[in-house]
Amino acid sequence: MSMLRLRQAAPALLAVAVLLVLTACGGTEYPNSTFNRHTDLNTSIDLLWNKLLFWGTIVFVVVEAALIFTIIKFRKRPGGPAAKQIHGNAALEITWTAIPAVILVLIAVPTVKTIFETQAPAPAGALEIEVIGHQWWWEFRYPELGIVTANEVYVPVGRTASFKLQTKDVLHSFWIPQMGGKRDLITNKTNYMWFTPSDTMGTAAWNGFCAEYCGASHANMKFRLYTVQPDEFASWAAHQATPAMFTAPGPGAAAATTVASTGTAAEPAPAREVGYFFPKDQQPPHVIPQTPIPAGLEFDDALLAQGDPVRGTQAFMMGGCIGCHAIAGNPMAVSIIGPNLTHFATRHTLAAGLYPNDGPHLARWIKNSRRMKPGSIMNTIGLNEYDPILKRTVTVGGLTDQQIADVVAYLQALK
Amino acid sequence: MATIAAPSLASAYDASAENTGIWSWITTVDHKRIGVLYLWTALFFFLVGGLEAVIIRTQLMQPNMGFISAETYNQLFTMHGTTMVFLAIMPLSAAFFNFLIPLQIGARDVAFPRLNAFSYWVYLLGGIFITVPILFKVAPDGGWFGYAPLTTVQFSSGPNIDFWVIGLQILGISSLAAAFNFITTIINMRAPGMSLMRMPMFTWMSFVVQFLVILAFPPITIALFFLLMDRFFGTTFYAIAAGADPLLWQHLFWVFGHPEVYILILPAFGLVSEVLPTFSKKPLFGYNVMVYSGIMIGFLGFGVWAHHMFAVGMGAVADSIFSLMTMLIAIPTGVKIFNWIATMWSGEIRFTVAMKFAIALIGMFTIGGISGVMHSSPPADLQQTDTYFIVAHFHYVLFGGSIMGIFAGIYFYFPKITGRMMSERIGNWHFWLNLIGFNLAFFPMHFSGMLGMPRRIYTYDAGQGWDLFNMIATIGTYLLVVSTAIFVWNFLRSRKHGEIAGNDPWGGSTLEWSIPSPPPEYNFAQIPEVTSRYPLWDLKSPEKTAGIDHSHADAMTITDAHAVPVHEETERRTAKELGIPMPYPTVKPLVVALAMVIMFSGLLFLRFDHFAISMVVTIGGALVMVGGLYSWLTAPLE
Repeated sequence: MSMLRLRQAAPALLAVAVLLVLTACGGTEYPNSTFNRHTDLNTSIDLLWNKLLFWGTIVFVVVEAALIFTIIKFRKRPGGPAAKQIHGNAALEITWTAIPAVILVLIAVPTVKTIFETQAPAPAGALEIEVIGHQWWWEFRYPELGIVTANEVYVPVGRTASFKLQTKDVLHSFWIPQMGGKRDLITNKTNYMWFTPSDTMGTAAWNGFCAEYCGASHANMKFRLYTVQPDEFASWAAHQATPAMFTAPGPGAAAATTVASTGTAAEPAPAREVGYFFPKDQQPPHVIPQTPIPAGLEFDDALLAQGDPVRGTQAFMMGGCIGCHAIAGNPMAVSIIGPNLTHFATRHTLAAGLYPNDGPHLARWIKNSRRMKPGSIMNTIGLNEYDPILKRTVTVGGLTDQQIADVVAYLQALK
Repeated sequence: MATIAAPSLASAYDASAENTGIWSWITTVDHKRIGVLYLWTALFFFLVGGLEAVIIRTQLMQPNMGFISAETYNQLFTMHGTTMVFLAIMPLSAAFFNFLIPLQIGARDVAFPRLNAFSYWVYLLGGIFITVPILFKVAPDGGWFGYAPLTTVQFSSGPNIDFWVIGLQILGISSLAAAFNFITTIINMRAPGMSLMRMPMFTWMSFVVQFLVILAFPPITIALFFLLMDRFFGTTFYAIAAGADPLLWQHLFWVFGHPEVYILILPAFGLVSEVLPTFSKKPLFGYNVMVYSGIMIGFLGFGVWAHHMFAVGMGAVADSIFSLMTMLIAIPTGVKIFNWIATMWSGEIRFTVAMKFAIALIGMFTIGGISGVMHSSPPADLQQTDTYFIVAHFHYVLFGGSIMGIFAGIYFYFPKITGRMMSERIGNWHFWLNLIGFNLAFFPMHFSGMLGMPRRIYTYDAGQGWDLFNMIATIGTYLLVVSTAIFVWNFLRSRKHGEIAGNDPWGGSTLEWSIPSPPPEYNFAQIPEVTSRYPLWDLKSPEKTAGIDHSHADAMTITDAHAVPVHEETERRTAKELGIPMPYPTVKPLVVALAMVIMFSGLLFLRFDHFAISMVVTIGGALVMVGGLYSWLTAPLE
């Protein structure tokens, strides 16, 4: 009997758990929840989901209740009635074929409607953003604004953002749970998705993920989406389209070095305002990475204070960084293999959302990215560091800790 | 009733087969022994796959854990899926196909006993081939779905994927050979009077599954062959630099992959369709509809593959069509659920462990079916696919469905296989811990998925709202470890110390319960004549089958040819004493299987540029295989 009571109670407990969790899902405890109506896309999905959940719950309750009722009522009891030998009942069987069919029609009609709605071409005036997947980071381009950036994407609220999805290597999938469904990045093919962040939404930061298994660091291929107000976006876009604020000194290097070492504005060009970017101190906890630094990767953080951005530009070339990275304003750095670093210092994370973008993390990343992120394509740069993929120790051409601190200083000047 | 002292598993056969020991198992062509080999091997791989899952869940117990590396995790989740699908659930079903189909249809063996042995050996060797690399940290790491282009040499240059491609090709041969064998057996070897619509439901569902196998395996064979040619011989089917379309792989894979889901679940449906009527003391409700719904599920299963691809951008029309087709499948599946409940309705339900597992299948599979309908709707699926919601869904289908059904089958048929009962007391512990552990492990995944947790990630950051669900899931997994350990103990212990079962411990309705447990080598001393769907109930409790059609009016009690007393009279005499011709034992199927696996493994040397060694191994293996086949095919069967 106790066993029967358990079976009886289990689904009820489950149902209570479902309700409790679902009511809690709207809160900030669940920062990547799909249950929201932040965009037109996710509003359509959420309305459809509610229908699915409604009918699903009804079917669940009816079937489990019928099952539990049956096994309790017809359990073998001493002196109980003998089994009735029923072989089938056409009317009943037609009924329980027809009822699910009707429910499915009630689901199918809005489903097809929503498919065509959400897959229609983006409305005119949408902001086009090219998304290019790489193992294991995201490249974002705003062709009409002349911006190339990585791993952090800004969209203004109230305006449709239309994403053109491509990949340079294997398959990936572009997913921001709070904004709507995902869409795969397929090699040799272009996919599209669009959504309009609600203009009632405040400036906010969201997590994005790669949702298609793409190799060693699939888990570490994240990005951030910032939904910002239109004026903030305009300021951000105008600034991001310009060359980096710190440019490598030309013939007057000595003078510039002096300026740099005194800690005032280092760039030879006239000083200008740094455009808007999402304020670092207002980042909600869920977008601040907490990945621990792998044990055994040593770096003397005291050196960071002595980092010099001008020496850093030299080290940036010597270390081979220019082989992969472009920095607008640094004529030597034009490669497009790795992330564009033009306004690197306006980003809050590095290594595709894996670590916070600060000196200690950046230094270790440069020193040995392959220890920091499994499978990383970026070579190990630190002198005497062991490269876990090439399986050898870096000797010739490796950067010392001081040189790395200089590169960090240079990158941190790239506002 | 003079009970025969139930002999142990091995000695049961010794009496009749005149051979003993390990060699008799290596050379056996007896479908029951091959079934037992499948059972042991598949249970072993089930434990391997379970161990992989435990390591996975330990790594995911908390955010940013460093229990295993990303590379190891990727190998483990790939191997967990591959192992459970190809090396555990399919072969567990095959264990029942082998052991039961000839007994249920009143035959003395399968149509091709030596091919049957070959299927088993190919499975065993293929399983070893694909599993052993994990000990050397070079296990496949491209996911069980092996999406190109990640699996091409450009992105996976190590031997990992080679083991997977070659291993799956080898395993496919085993499945195909077995499928043709069972189709031939079921069509040709049914006892007199057993029309198709009198076959036991397990045999029916198995019959459907064999057609799914022979239709679904060719597409994946082609897909794997393309990949194999790409990896070893420089073709460009999936080479992105040559402009390949990666969706080629996805379509070919899922044209196999979705019917594969039904290959995994329908045998379990068949098993519970045997268990539920027996312990409800009632015939199966709506036999015809159960048959037709099984066929419908199998048929529709070929038209829904692209619902695994709603995110790839097929366009609104294709998405809509595959969505509607997928929803359609819910109808025959729902009919099965309701018919099972109706089978128990107004019965006298005995809650044996087998029955509890069968009931659990109904309850748990329903949950998996409901979440399945949820992602048949593409816009909703775009929030669900590749998240833990899907992981929850298919574990409710494959664990809550297939594994629960298979456990029901094991508890139900253990007495027939070994002659002894499994302990109900220990079995109850297994069942309840299993049911609780299963729900703790997988129900929270619905939430973590809908709350944004992607699949196949080796770690996740703190503060994402997933911590609690992952902790609960890991605790549930540890409970499953305990319950599985209890099962293993029960299984091993009951073989030696279980109660003697007798021919028909449960009051079954089908032919296998009419013969001794374990059955003699020849199964039936005389081939029975069947006049209805429930031959044994006709004999023992005709009131249960009064309402159904029989061959002729006076055939309510069948001719008794297969009936219990006859077998007691035979006193377990050997086939030779009874003058029944049985196939000779032979090692040739094993030789051919081994040579074939060696032939395939020669390819591996190409990965390390040892061309000469590769050729020697491949050609050597091929020569032995052809020689072995010639010798096999020219040797008389019996």
